[in-house]
Amino acid sequence: MNNSVSLSGSLDFLNLGELLNLLGTNGSSGMLRVKSSYKAEAGLVYLDKGNPINATNGSLSGMDAIFSLFGWTDGEFEFVQEDPSCEKTINKSRMEIILDGLRLLDEGKIEKLGPKTGASTQDEPAAISGQVPLIKGPLVDYSYVVDEEGFYDGDEIVQEGNHGDWIWVILEGMAEISKQTASGSIEILRIGDGAFLGSVAALISGGRVRTATVKAVGNVQLGMLDSQLLANELANVSADFKSLLNSVDSRLKQVVEMAVKTKENQNNPESYIEGKKQLIKQGHEEERLFIIKNGDAVIARQTDNGYVPLAQLKKGDFFGRIPFLDMGHEPYSAAVFSADNLKLAAVDVKKLESEHQGLSSTLKNIIGHMATSVSVSTMVTCNFQKQKA
Amino acid sequence: MAVVNLKKRQIECKVVYYGPGRCGKTTNLEYIHKSFKNQVMGEMVSINTDGDRTLFFDFLPMNLGKVRGCDLRVQLYTVPGQVRYSSTRKLVLRGADGLIFVADSLEVRRKKNMLSLIDLQQNLKEYGVSIFKVPLVMQYNKRDLSHENISIMDLKKMEHDLNRQLKVPAFPGSALTGDGVGKALHACMKLVMQAVQSELS
Repeated sequence: MNNSVSLSGSLDFLNLGELLNLLGTNGSSGMLRVKSSYKAEAGLVYLDKGNPINATNGSLSGMDAIFSLFGWTDGEFEFVQEDPSCEKTINKSRMEIILDGLRLLDEGKIEKLGPKTGASTQDEPAAISGQVPLIKGPLVDYSYVVDEEGFYDGDEIVQEGNHGDWIWVILEGMAEISKQTASGSIEILRIGDGAFLGSVAALISGGRVRTATVKAVGNVQLGMLDSQLLANELANVSADFKSLLNSVDSRLKQVVEMAVKTKENQNNPESYIEGKKQLIKQGHEEERLFIIKNGDAVIARQTDNGYVPLAQLKKGDFFGRIPFLDMGHEPYSAAVFSADNLKLAAVDVKKLESEHQGLSSTLKNIIGHMATSVSVSTMVTCNFQKQKA
Repeated sequence: MAVVNLKKRQIECKVVYYGPGRCGKTTNLEYIHKSFKNQVMGEMVSINTDGDRTLFFDFLPMNLGKVRGCDLRVQLYTVPGQVRYSSTRKLVLRGADGLIFVADSLEVRRKKNMLSLIDLQQNLKEYGVSIFKVPLVMQYNKRDLSHENISIMDLKKMEHDLNRQLKVPAFPGSALTGDGVGKALHACMKLVMQAVQSELS
Protein backbone atom coordinates (compact mmCIF):
# COMPACT_ATOMS: atom_id res chain seq x y z
CA MET A 1 0.00 0.00 0.00
CA ASN A 2 1.25 3.47 -0.70
CA ASN A 3 1.30 6.35 1.73
CA SER A 4 -0.21 9.09 -0.38
CA VAL A 5 -3.61 10.60 0.24
CA SER A 6 -6.32 8.44 -1.36
CA LEU A 7 -9.38 10.45 -0.40
CA SER A 8 -9.83 14.01 0.75
CA GLY A 9 -12.57 16.57 0.95
CA SER A 10 -14.60 18.90 3.07
CA LEU A 11 -16.37 17.92 6.29
CA ASP A 12 -19.49 19.88 5.52
CA PHE A 13 -19.93 17.65 2.49
CA LEU A 14 -19.20 14.37 4.28
CA ASN A 15 -19.30 14.50 8.07
CA LEU A 16 -17.35 12.09 10.24
CA GLY A 17 -20.31 9.68 10.57
CA GLU A 18 -20.83 9.46 6.82
CA LEU A 19 -17.11 9.24 6.25
CA LEU A 20 -16.64 6.30 8.63
CA ASN A 21 -19.64 4.65 7.03
CA LEU A 22 -18.14 5.07 3.58
CA LEU A 23 -14.64 3.87 4.54
CA GLY A 24 -16.27 1.03 6.45
CA THR A 25 -18.29 -0.28 3.52
CA ASN A 26 -15.15 -0.06 1.45
CA GLY A 27 -13.17 -2.05 4.04
CA SER A 28 -10.32 0.46 3.96
CA SER A 29 -7.26 0.35 6.25
CA GLY A 30 -5.26 3.45 7.04
CA MET A 31 -5.30 6.77 8.78
CA LEU A 32 -8.04 9.38 8.61
CA ARG A 33 -6.82 12.88 9.38
CA VAL A 34 -9.47 15.44 10.30
CA LYS A 35 -8.66 19.14 10.36
CA SER A 36 -10.91 21.80 11.81
CA SER A 37 -10.58 25.47 11.01
CA TYR A 38 -11.03 26.12 14.72
CA LYS A 39 -8.29 23.89 16.06
CA ALA A 40 -4.55 23.95 15.38
CA GLU A 41 -3.95 20.24 15.80
CA ALA A 42 -5.50 17.61 13.55
CA GLY A 43 -7.50 14.66 14.86
CA LEU A 44 -6.54 11.15 13.76
CA VAL A 45 -8.59 7.99 13.38
CA TYR A 46 -6.91 4.67 12.55
CA LEU A 47 -8.88 2.08 10.64
CA ASP A 48 -8.31 -1.61 10.10
CA LYS A 49 -10.41 -3.17 7.33
CA GLY A 50 -13.01 -0.47 7.74
CA ASN A 51 -13.26 -0.59 11.51
CA PRO A 52 -11.88 2.17 13.74
CA ILE A 53 -9.20 0.75 16.05
CA ASN A 54 -7.70 3.86 17.61
CA ALA A 55 -7.96 7.64 17.54
CA THR A 56 -6.26 10.71 18.94
CA ASN A 57 -7.40 14.27 19.40
CA GLY A 58 -4.97 16.43 21.37
CA SER A 59 -4.63 14.82 24.77
CA LEU A 60 -7.56 12.47 24.19
CA SER A 61 -7.23 9.00 22.76
CA GLY A 62 -9.38 5.98 21.95
CA MET A 63 -13.16 6.28 22.18
CA ASP A 64 -13.08 9.72 23.83
CA ALA A 65 -11.03 11.06 20.95
CA ILE A 66 -13.23 9.61 18.22
CA PHE A 67 -16.41 10.89 19.85
CA SER A 68 -14.95 14.39 20.27
CA LEU A 69 -14.21 14.48 16.54
CA PHE A 70 -17.93 14.22 15.75
CA GLY A 71 -18.16 17.86 16.85
CA TRP A 72 -15.92 18.95 13.98
CA THR A 73 -18.39 19.83 11.30
CA ASP A 74 -16.44 22.57 9.58
CA GLY A 75 -13.10 21.58 8.12
CA GLU A 76 -11.22 19.14 5.93
CA PHE A 77 -10.42 15.46 5.94
CA GLU A 78 -7.92 13.24 4.20
CA PHE A 79 -7.49 9.51 4.21
CA VAL A 80 -4.11 7.87 3.79
CA GLN A 81 -4.02 4.19 2.94
CA GLU A 82 -1.49 2.25 5.02
CA ASP A 83 -1.09 -0.93 7.00
CA PRO A 84 -2.51 -0.62 10.48
CA SER A 85 0.45 -0.26 12.84
CA CYS A 86 -1.03 1.11 16.03
CA GLU A 87 -2.44 -0.70 19.00
CA LYS A 88 -6.15 -1.54 19.01
CA THR A 89 -7.91 0.34 21.80
CA ILE A 90 -11.38 0.62 20.31
CA ASN A 91 -13.51 -2.47 20.46
CA LYS A 92 -16.92 -1.10 19.58
CA SER A 93 -18.33 -1.86 16.14
CA ARG A 94 -18.25 0.77 13.47
CA MET A 95 -21.98 1.40 13.28
CA GLU A 96 -22.22 1.61 17.04
CA ILE A 97 -19.56 4.32 17.10
CA ILE A 98 -21.27 6.26 14.34
CA LEU A 99 -24.76 6.10 15.80
CA ASP A 100 -23.57 6.73 19.36
CA GLY A 101 -21.34 9.60 18.25
CA LEU A 102 -24.21 11.29 16.45
CA ARG A 103 -26.49 10.72 19.42
CA LEU A 104 -23.99 12.39 21.77
CA LEU A 105 -23.64 15.25 19.32
CA ASP A 106 -27.41 15.70 19.15
CA GLU A 107 -27.74 15.53 22.90
CA GLY A 108 -25.18 18.31 23.19
CA LYS A 109 -22.64 16.12 24.98
CA ILE A 110 -19.98 16.73 22.35
CA GLU A 111 -18.59 20.20 21.89
CA LYS A 112 -19.32 21.53 18.44
CA LEU A 113 -16.45 23.48 16.93
CA GLY A 114 -17.05 26.50 14.78
CA PRO A 115 -20.08 28.61 14.05
CA LYS A 116 -23.34 26.80 13.59
CA THR A 117 -24.44 26.55 10.02
CA GLY A 118 -28.12 25.95 9.50
CA ALA A 119 -29.28 27.52 6.31
CA SER A 120 -32.80 26.37 5.63
CA THR A 121 -33.62 25.24 2.16
CA GLN A 122 -36.94 25.99 0.62
CA ASP A 123 -38.22 24.19 -2.37
CA GLU A 124 -40.08 25.89 -5.13
CA PRO A 125 -43.59 24.63 -4.38
CA ALA A 126 -45.40 25.64 -7.51
CA ALA A 127 -45.57 23.40 -10.52
CA ILE A 128 -46.47 24.76 -13.89
CA SER A 129 -49.21 22.95 -15.76
CA GLY A 130 -49.73 24.48 -19.15
CA GLN A 131 -50.64 28.14 -18.86
CA VAL A 132 -52.09 28.26 -15.37
CA PRO A 133 -49.81 27.48 -12.44
CA LEU A 134 -50.85 24.73 -10.03
CA ILE A 135 -50.10 24.93 -6.33
CA LYS A 136 -49.98 21.75 -4.30
CA GLY A 137 -49.62 21.52 -0.56
CA PRO A 138 -47.96 19.19 1.95
CA LEU A 139 -49.57 16.11 3.47
CA VAL A 140 -52.87 16.79 5.18
CA ASP A 141 -53.12 16.49 8.95
CA TYR A 142 -56.46 14.71 9.20
CA SER A 143 -56.92 15.51 12.85
CA TYR A 144 -57.95 19.02 11.76
CA VAL A 145 -60.51 17.79 9.25
CA VAL A 146 -64.02 17.81 10.74
CA ASP A 147 -66.11 17.10 7.69
CA GLU A 148 -65.72 16.10 4.07
CA GLU A 149 -67.51 17.34 0.99
CA GLY A 150 -67.44 16.16 -2.60
CA PHE A 151 -67.81 18.36 -5.66
CA TYR A 152 -68.23 17.36 -9.30
CA ASP A 153 -66.43 18.82 -12.28
CA GLY A 154 -67.48 22.44 -12.86
CA ASP A 155 -69.26 22.81 -9.50
CA GLU A 156 -68.83 26.17 -7.86
CA ILE A 157 -67.29 25.68 -4.43
CA VAL A 158 -67.07 29.33 -3.48
CA GLN A 159 -68.58 32.31 -5.25
CA GLU A 160 -66.90 35.68 -5.25
CA GLY A 161 -68.89 38.17 -3.18
CA ASN A 162 -70.54 35.57 -0.97
CA HIS A 163 -69.93 35.49 2.75
CA GLY A 164 -68.15 32.72 4.55
CA ASP A 165 -65.11 32.01 6.63
CA TRP A 166 -64.58 28.25 6.38
CA ILE A 167 -61.22 27.01 5.34
CA TRP A 168 -61.02 23.82 3.29
CA VAL A 169 -58.12 21.67 2.36
CA ILE A 170 -58.13 19.72 -0.90
CA LEU A 171 -57.95 16.01 -0.09
CA GLU A 172 -58.09 14.86 -3.69
CA GLY A 173 -58.49 16.65 -6.99
CA MET A 174 -57.99 20.12 -8.35
CA ALA A 175 -59.78 23.47 -8.23
CA GLU A 176 -59.54 26.62 -10.28
CA ILE A 177 -59.42 30.07 -8.71
CA SER A 178 -60.81 32.87 -10.81
CA LYS A 179 -61.92 36.49 -10.56
CA GLN A 180 -65.12 37.87 -12.06
CA THR A 181 -64.86 40.97 -14.20
CA ALA A 182 -67.23 42.89 -16.44
CA SER A 183 -65.87 41.04 -19.45
CA GLY A 184 -66.07 37.56 -17.96
CA SER A 185 -63.97 35.52 -15.59
CA ILE A 186 -60.19 35.41 -15.47
CA GLU A 187 -58.50 32.23 -14.31
CA ILE A 188 -55.66 33.09 -11.96
CA LEU A 189 -54.32 29.76 -10.77
CA ARG A 190 -55.17 26.20 -9.83
CA ILE A 191 -54.72 24.43 -6.55
CA GLY A 192 -54.33 20.70 -5.95
CA ASP A 193 -53.95 18.10 -3.19
CA GLY A 194 -52.99 19.55 0.17
CA ALA A 195 -53.65 23.17 -0.85
CA PHE A 196 -55.97 25.38 1.20
CA LEU A 197 -59.02 27.31 0.23
CA GLY A 198 -60.21 30.28 2.27
CA SER A 199 -58.56 33.01 4.24
CA VAL A 200 -56.93 32.76 7.61
CA ALA A 201 -57.49 36.48 8.11
CA ALA A 202 -61.22 35.76 8.15
CA LEU A 203 -60.68 33.76 11.33
CA ILE A 204 -58.92 36.69 12.97
CA SER A 205 -61.28 39.49 12.09
CA GLY A 206 -64.37 37.46 11.20
CA GLY A 207 -67.19 37.87 8.65
CA ARG A 208 -65.24 38.06 5.46
CA VAL A 209 -66.48 38.31 1.92
CA ARG A 210 -65.06 35.76 -0.50
CA THR A 211 -62.71 37.54 -2.86
CA ALA A 212 -62.52 34.96 -5.61
CA THR A 213 -64.53 32.20 -7.20
CA VAL A 214 -63.41 28.61 -6.85
CA LYS A 215 -64.59 25.88 -9.19
CA ALA A 216 -63.93 22.16 -9.19
CA VAL A 217 -61.80 20.87 -12.08
CA GLY A 218 -62.73 17.21 -12.28
CA ASN A 219 -64.12 15.66 -9.14
CA VAL A 220 -62.81 17.16 -5.95
CA GLN A 221 -62.90 15.94 -2.39
CA LEU A 222 -62.56 18.68 0.21
CA GLY A 223 -61.92 18.48 3.93
CA MET A 224 -63.41 21.21 6.07
CA LEU A 225 -60.95 22.33 8.71
CA ASP A 226 -61.88 22.70 12.35
CA SER A 227 -62.24 26.47 12.46
CA GLN A 228 -62.85 26.42 16.20
CA LEU A 229 -59.49 24.76 16.74
CA LEU A 230 -57.73 27.15 14.37
CA ALA A 231 -59.46 30.21 15.82
CA ASN A 232 -58.46 29.11 19.34
CA GLU A 233 -54.88 28.75 18.27
CA LEU A 234 -54.92 32.12 16.54
CA ALA A 235 -56.43 33.72 19.62
CA ASN A 236 -53.23 32.88 21.47
CA VAL A 237 -50.78 34.51 19.07
CA SER A 238 -49.55 38.06 19.66
CA ALA A 239 -51.18 41.12 18.14
CA ASP A 240 -48.07 41.66 16.01
CA PHE A 241 -48.30 38.18 14.54
CA LYS A 242 -51.99 38.70 13.78
CA SER A 243 -51.30 41.95 11.97
CA LEU A 244 -48.54 40.23 10.00
CA LEU A 245 -51.02 37.56 8.88
CA ASN A 246 -53.57 40.22 7.98
CA SER A 247 -50.95 42.12 6.04
CA VAL A 248 -49.86 39.04 4.05
CA ASP A 249 -53.51 38.20 3.39
CA SER A 250 -54.24 41.70 2.14
CA ARG A 251 -51.14 41.57 -0.01
CA LEU A 252 -52.36 38.35 -1.61
CA LYS A 253 -55.71 39.97 -2.41
CA GLN A 254 -53.99 43.01 -3.88
CA VAL A 255 -51.65 40.98 -6.06
CA VAL A 256 -54.64 39.10 -7.45
CA GLU A 257 -56.45 42.42 -8.07
CA MET A 258 -53.34 43.66 -9.86
CA ALA A 259 -53.32 40.54 -12.01
CA VAL A 260 -56.90 41.28 -13.06
CA LYS A 261 -56.19 44.95 -13.74
CA THR A 262 -53.11 44.07 -15.75
CA LYS A 263 -55.00 41.52 -17.79
CA GLU A 264 -57.88 43.96 -18.37
CA ASN A 265 -55.40 46.64 -19.36
CA GLN A 266 -56.70 49.09 -16.80
CA ASN A 267 -53.38 49.65 -15.17
CA ASN A 268 -50.80 52.29 -15.67
CA PRO A 269 -47.78 50.78 -13.92
CA GLU A 270 -45.94 54.08 -13.86
CA SER A 271 -48.66 55.85 -11.90
CA TYR A 272 -48.07 53.70 -8.83
CA ILE A 273 -44.44 54.56 -8.35
CA GLU A 274 -44.51 58.08 -9.72
CA GLY A 275 -43.12 60.60 -7.25
CA LYS A 276 -42.08 57.87 -4.83
CA LYS A 277 -38.55 57.11 -3.84
CA GLN A 278 -37.03 53.65 -3.83
CA LEU A 279 -36.64 52.42 -0.27
CA ILE A 280 -35.48 48.86 -0.85
CA LYS A 281 -33.86 48.01 -4.14
CA GLN A 282 -34.75 44.67 -5.72
CA GLY A 283 -32.09 42.08 -4.89
CA HIS A 284 -30.65 44.32 -2.17
CA GLU A 285 -29.57 42.75 1.13
CA GLU A 286 -32.12 43.70 3.77
CA GLU A 287 -32.36 41.73 6.98
CA ARG A 288 -34.96 43.82 8.77
CA LEU A 289 -38.73 43.74 8.82
CA PHE A 290 -40.72 46.97 9.12
CA ILE A 291 -44.23 47.95 10.04
CA ILE A 292 -45.77 51.08 8.55
CA LYS A 293 -46.84 53.54 11.22
CA ASN A 294 -48.06 56.13 8.81
CA GLY A 295 -48.15 56.82 5.07
CA ASP A 296 -48.03 54.62 1.96
CA ALA A 297 -45.62 52.36 0.19
CA VAL A 298 -45.75 50.34 -3.02
CA ILE A 299 -44.29 46.92 -3.78
CA ALA A 300 -43.24 46.46 -7.40
CA ARG A 301 -41.20 43.90 -9.27
CA GLN A 302 -38.63 44.99 -11.78
CA THR A 303 -38.99 43.00 -15.00
CA ASP A 304 -37.81 43.29 -18.58
CA ASN A 305 -41.04 45.15 -19.26
CA GLY A 306 -40.51 47.74 -16.55
CA TYR A 307 -41.82 47.78 -13.01
CA VAL A 308 -44.92 45.69 -12.32
CA PRO A 309 -46.82 47.08 -9.34
CA LEU A 310 -47.93 44.34 -6.94
CA ALA A 311 -49.41 45.89 -3.83
CA GLN A 312 -50.06 49.18 -2.12
CA LEU A 313 -49.24 49.14 1.56
CA LYS A 314 -50.92 51.24 4.20
CA LYS A 315 -50.65 51.88 7.89
CA GLY A 316 -50.28 48.59 9.78
CA ASP A 317 -48.77 46.69 6.82
CA PHE A 318 -45.43 44.94 6.97
CA PHE A 319 -42.55 44.87 4.53
CA GLY A 320 -38.96 43.63 4.50
CA ARG A 321 -37.57 40.16 5.02
CA ILE A 322 -39.68 37.57 6.83
CA PRO A 323 -37.25 34.68 7.43
CA PHE A 324 -39.97 32.04 7.84
CA LEU A 325 -42.19 33.09 4.93
CA ASP A 326 -41.21 33.29 1.30
CA MET A 327 -43.61 35.45 -0.68
CA GLY A 328 -41.21 35.91 -3.58
CA HIS A 329 -41.30 39.67 -3.01
CA GLU A 330 -38.90 42.12 -1.36
CA PRO A 331 -36.03 42.19 -0.68
CA TYR A 332 -34.84 39.63 -3.27
CA SER A 333 -37.48 39.72 -5.97
CA ALA A 334 -39.26 43.04 -5.61
CA ALA A 335 -38.56 46.64 -4.71
CA VAL A 336 -40.28 48.88 -2.18
CA PHE A 337 -41.18 52.47 -3.04
CA SER A 338 -42.23 54.95 -0.40
CA ALA A 339 -44.20 58.18 -0.35
CA ASP A 340 -42.75 61.18 1.47
CA ASN A 341 -45.10 60.82 4.43
CA LEU A 342 -43.93 57.30 5.28
CA LYS A 343 -43.16 56.54 8.93
CA LEU A 344 -41.71 53.15 9.88
CA ALA A 345 -40.81 51.07 12.89
CA ALA A 346 -38.56 48.00 12.88
CA VAL A 347 -40.20 44.77 14.07
CA ASP A 348 -38.68 42.12 16.33
CA VAL A 349 -38.40 39.34 13.75
CA LYS A 350 -36.92 36.84 16.23
CA LYS A 351 -40.05 37.00 18.34
CA LEU A 352 -42.33 36.46 15.35
CA GLU A 353 -40.13 33.63 14.14
CA SER A 354 -40.27 31.77 17.43
CA GLU A 355 -44.00 32.31 17.55
CA HIS A 356 -44.30 30.82 14.07
CA GLN A 357 -42.15 27.90 15.19
CA GLY A 358 -44.65 27.13 17.95
CA LEU A 359 -47.72 26.94 15.70
CA SER A 360 -49.40 23.68 14.76
CA SER A 361 -48.31 22.15 11.48
CA THR A 362 -51.71 22.82 9.91
CA LEU A 363 -51.58 26.51 10.70
CA LYS A 364 -47.99 26.69 9.49
CA ASN A 365 -49.08 25.01 6.27
CA ILE A 366 -51.95 27.45 5.78
CA ILE A 367 -49.63 30.40 6.28
CA GLY A 368 -47.03 28.85 4.00
CA HIS A 369 -49.68 28.27 1.37
CA MET A 370 -50.72 31.92 1.61
CA ALA A 371 -47.13 33.02 0.98
CA THR A 372 -46.79 30.59 -1.93
CA SER A 373 -50.00 31.96 -3.40
CA VAL A 374 -48.59 35.48 -3.20
CA SER A 375 -45.49 34.29 -4.99
CA VAL A 376 -47.39 32.44 -7.71
CA SER A 377 -49.96 35.22 -8.23
CA THR A 378 -47.06 37.62 -8.64
CA MET A 379 -45.67 35.40 -11.36
CA VAL A 380 -49.10 35.37 -13.01
CA THR A 381 -49.30 39.18 -12.86
CA CYS A 382 -45.86 39.52 -14.41
CA ASN A 383 -46.81 37.06 -17.15
CA PHE A 384 -49.93 39.10 -17.95
CA GLN A 385 -47.75 42.20 -18.19
CA LYS A 386 -45.38 40.35 -20.50
CA GLN A 387 -48.21 39.22 -22.78
CA LYS A 388 -49.31 42.82 -23.05
CA ALA A 389 -45.85 44.06 -23.98
CA MET B 1 -28.88 5.65 -2.48
CA ALA B 2 -28.01 2.06 -3.18
CA VAL B 3 -24.26 1.46 -3.36
CA VAL B 4 -22.88 -1.19 -5.69
CA ASN B 5 -19.98 -2.92 -3.99
CA LEU B 6 -18.02 -4.49 -6.80
CA LYS B 7 -15.58 -6.24 -4.47
CA LYS B 8 -18.32 -8.31 -2.89
CA ARG B 9 -20.72 -8.19 -5.83
CA GLN B 10 -23.41 -6.84 -3.60
CA ILE B 11 -25.80 -3.96 -3.83
CA GLU B 12 -26.04 -2.31 -0.46
CA CYS B 13 -29.22 -0.52 0.37
CA LYS B 14 -30.86 0.98 3.36
CA VAL B 15 -34.30 0.28 4.76
CA VAL B 16 -35.52 2.45 7.61
CA TYR B 17 -38.31 1.82 10.09
CA TYR B 18 -40.04 5.07 10.89
CA GLY B 19 -42.97 5.87 13.14
CA PRO B 20 -44.11 7.58 16.33
CA GLY B 21 -42.41 6.73 19.63
CA ARG B 22 -43.40 3.42 21.26
CA CYS B 23 -45.11 2.23 18.07
CA GLY B 24 -43.00 -0.91 17.80
CA LYS B 25 -40.16 -0.06 15.41
CA THR B 26 -37.54 -1.64 17.64
CA THR B 27 -39.76 -4.64 18.34
CA ASN B 28 -40.01 -5.15 14.59
CA LEU B 29 -36.25 -5.12 14.22
CA GLU B 30 -35.72 -7.34 17.23
CA TYR B 31 -38.18 -9.85 15.83
CA ILE B 32 -36.41 -9.89 12.47
CA HIS B 33 -33.02 -10.23 14.12
CA LYS B 34 -34.26 -13.15 16.20
CA SER B 35 -36.36 -15.00 13.61
CA PHE B 36 -34.34 -14.66 10.45
CA LYS B 37 -31.00 -15.53 12.04
CA ASN B 38 -29.58 -17.18 8.95
CA GLN B 39 -30.08 -14.01 6.93
CA VAL B 40 -28.71 -11.64 9.56
CA MET B 41 -25.08 -10.60 9.27
CA GLY B 42 -23.33 -9.66 12.44
CA GLU B 43 -24.43 -8.14 15.69
CA MET B 44 -27.31 -5.83 16.26
CA VAL B 45 -26.17 -2.37 17.30
CA SER B 46 -28.43 -0.78 19.85
CA ILE B 47 -28.06 2.82 20.98
CA ASN B 48 -30.18 4.20 23.78
CA THR B 49 -31.67 7.44 22.64
CA ASP B 50 -34.00 9.38 24.85
CA GLY B 51 -37.40 7.67 24.91
CA ASP B 52 -36.52 5.30 22.09
CA ARG B 53 -33.76 3.05 20.90
CA THR B 54 -31.87 3.32 17.66
CA LEU B 55 -31.14 -0.08 16.18
CA PHE B 56 -29.05 -1.21 13.28
CA PHE B 57 -27.98 -4.45 11.66
CA ASP B 58 -27.08 -5.89 8.27
CA PHE B 59 -29.47 -8.24 6.56
CA LEU B 60 -29.03 -10.50 3.55
CA PRO B 61 -32.48 -11.23 2.22
CA MET B 62 -33.08 -14.54 0.47
CA ASN B 63 -35.49 -15.47 -2.28
CA LEU B 64 -35.33 -12.02 -3.82
CA GLY B 65 -33.10 -12.91 -6.75
CA LYS B 66 -30.20 -10.90 -8.08
CA VAL B 67 -29.87 -7.59 -9.85
CA ARG B 68 -27.25 -7.76 -12.58
CA GLY B 69 -25.56 -10.66 -10.83
CA CYS B 70 -25.33 -8.84 -7.51
CA ASP B 71 -26.98 -9.88 -4.27
CA LEU B 72 -28.94 -7.40 -2.27
CA ARG B 73 -27.55 -6.55 1.14
CA VAL B 74 -29.84 -4.51 3.31
CA GLN B 75 -28.96 -2.31 6.26
CA LEU B 76 -31.93 -2.13 8.58
CA TYR B 77 -32.30 0.90 10.81
CA THR B 78 -34.71 2.48 13.19
CA VAL B 79 -34.55 6.19 13.71
CA PRO B 80 -35.19 8.22 16.85
CA GLY B 81 -38.19 10.46 16.38
CA GLN B 82 -37.32 13.41 18.58
CA VAL B 83 -36.40 16.64 16.88
CA ARG B 84 -33.11 16.96 18.72
CA TYR B 85 -31.61 13.85 17.10
CA SER B 86 -31.17 15.59 13.80
CA SER B 87 -27.65 14.30 13.06
CA THR B 88 -28.65 10.70 13.66
CA ARG B 89 -31.77 11.16 11.58
CA LYS B 90 -29.78 12.73 8.81
CA LEU B 91 -27.30 9.85 8.66
CA VAL B 92 -30.07 7.28 8.73
CA LEU B 93 -32.60 8.93 6.46
CA ARG B 94 -30.25 10.41 3.90
CA GLY B 95 -30.04 8.00 1.05
CA ALA B 96 -32.65 5.64 2.47
CA ASP B 97 -33.73 3.28 -0.30
CA GLY B 98 -36.87 2.07 1.37
CA LEU B 99 -39.06 2.98 4.31
CA ILE B 100 -41.47 1.10 6.49
CA PHE B 101 -43.82 3.36 8.36
CA VAL B 102 -44.99 1.66 11.53
CA ALA B 103 -48.31 3.04 12.73
CA ASP B 104 -49.74 2.37 16.16
CA SER B 105 -53.23 0.84 16.13
CA LEU B 106 -54.08 2.17 19.57
CA GLU B 107 -56.91 4.67 19.41
CA VAL B 108 -55.03 7.12 21.66
CA ARG B 109 -52.05 7.21 19.30
CA ARG B 110 -54.09 8.28 16.29
CA LYS B 111 -52.81 11.82 16.27
CA LYS B 112 -49.22 10.76 16.93
CA ASN B 113 -49.30 8.56 13.81
CA MET B 114 -50.40 11.42 11.61
CA LEU B 115 -47.88 13.85 13.06
CA SER B 116 -45.09 11.34 12.61
CA LEU B 117 -46.00 10.76 8.97
CA ILE B 118 -45.97 14.48 8.30
CA ASP B 119 -42.67 14.69 10.10
CA LEU B 120 -41.29 11.97 7.84
CA GLN B 121 -42.41 13.85 4.78
CA GLN B 122 -40.72 17.02 5.97
CA ASN B 123 -37.51 15.22 6.85
CA LEU B 124 -37.38 13.50 3.48
CA LYS B 125 -38.04 16.77 1.76
CA GLU B 126 -34.97 18.24 3.42
CA TYR B 127 -32.91 15.61 1.65
CA GLY B 128 -34.70 16.26 -1.62
CA VAL B 129 -36.80 13.09 -1.53
CA SER B 130 -40.53 13.03 -2.18
CA ILE B 131 -42.58 10.79 0.08
CA PHE B 132 -44.74 9.99 -2.94
CA LYS B 133 -41.78 8.55 -4.85
CA VAL B 134 -39.65 6.76 -2.28
CA PRO B 135 -40.36 3.00 -1.84
CA LEU B 136 -42.64 2.98 1.19
CA VAL B 137 -44.90 0.46 2.89
CA MET B 138 -47.09 0.80 5.96
CA GLN B 139 -47.45 -1.54 8.84
CA TYR B 140 -50.48 -1.15 11.09
CA ASN B 141 -48.92 -2.54 14.20
CA LYS B 142 -50.25 -3.98 17.48
CA ARG B 143 -53.25 -5.74 15.89
CA ASP B 144 -52.84 -8.47 18.54
CA LEU B 145 -54.19 -6.11 21.20
CA SER B 146 -57.73 -6.72 19.96
CA HIS B 147 -57.60 -10.17 21.60
CA GLU B 148 -56.99 -8.49 24.90
CA ASN B 149 -60.03 -6.26 24.73
CA ILE B 150 -58.04 -3.10 24.23
CA SER B 151 -59.72 -0.70 21.88
CA ILE B 152 -57.84 -0.31 18.61
CA MET B 153 -58.72 1.51 15.42
CA ASP B 154 -60.18 -0.51 12.57
CA LEU B 155 -57.99 -0.89 9.50
CA LYS B 156 -60.29 1.15 7.32
CA LYS B 157 -59.93 4.14 9.57
CA MET B 158 -56.15 3.86 9.66
CA GLU B 159 -56.02 3.46 5.91
CA HIS B 160 -58.15 6.58 5.64
CA ASP B 161 -56.00 8.54 8.10
CA LEU B 162 -52.60 7.65 6.76
CA ASN B 163 -52.68 6.08 3.35
CA ARG B 164 -55.27 8.04 1.49
CA GLN B 165 -52.93 10.26 -0.46
CA LEU B 166 -49.97 7.90 -0.50
CA LYS B 167 -51.73 4.70 -1.58
CA VAL B 168 -48.79 2.46 -0.69
CA PRO B 169 -48.93 -1.25 0.22
CA ALA B 170 -50.15 -1.60 3.80
CA PHE B 171 -50.10 -4.58 6.15
CA PRO B 172 -51.74 -5.26 9.47
CA GLY B 173 -49.26 -6.81 11.85
CA SER B 174 -47.98 -7.43 15.30
CA ALA B 175 -44.28 -6.98 15.91
CA LEU B 176 -44.63 -8.74 19.25
CA THR B 177 -45.99 -12.00 17.81
CA GLY B 178 -44.28 -11.49 14.45
CA ASP B 179 -47.49 -11.46 12.42
CA GLY B 180 -47.05 -9.49 9.24
CA VAL B 181 -43.49 -8.40 10.07
CA GLY B 182 -41.90 -10.50 7.35
CA LYS B 183 -44.60 -9.54 4.87
CA ALA B 184 -44.06 -5.83 5.30
CA LEU B 185 -40.29 -6.17 5.06
CA HIS B 186 -40.55 -8.40 2.00
CA ALA B 187 -42.92 -5.99 0.28
CA CYS B 188 -40.62 -3.08 1.01
CA MET B 189 -37.58 -4.92 -0.30
CA LYS B 190 -39.43 -5.84 -3.45
CA LEU B 191 -40.17 -2.16 -4.03
CA VAL B 192 -36.53 -1.31 -3.32
CA MET B 193 -35.42 -4.00 -5.75
CA GLN B 194 -37.65 -2.57 -8.47
CA ALA B 195 -36.35 0.91 -7.82
CA VAL B 196 -32.73 -0.26 -7.96
CA GLN B 197 -33.42 -2.19 -11.12
CA SER B 198 -35.05 0.72 -12.90
CA GLU B 199 -32.20 2.95 -11.78
CA LEU B 200 -29.61 0.61 -13.27
CA SER B 201 -31.33 0.05 -16.57
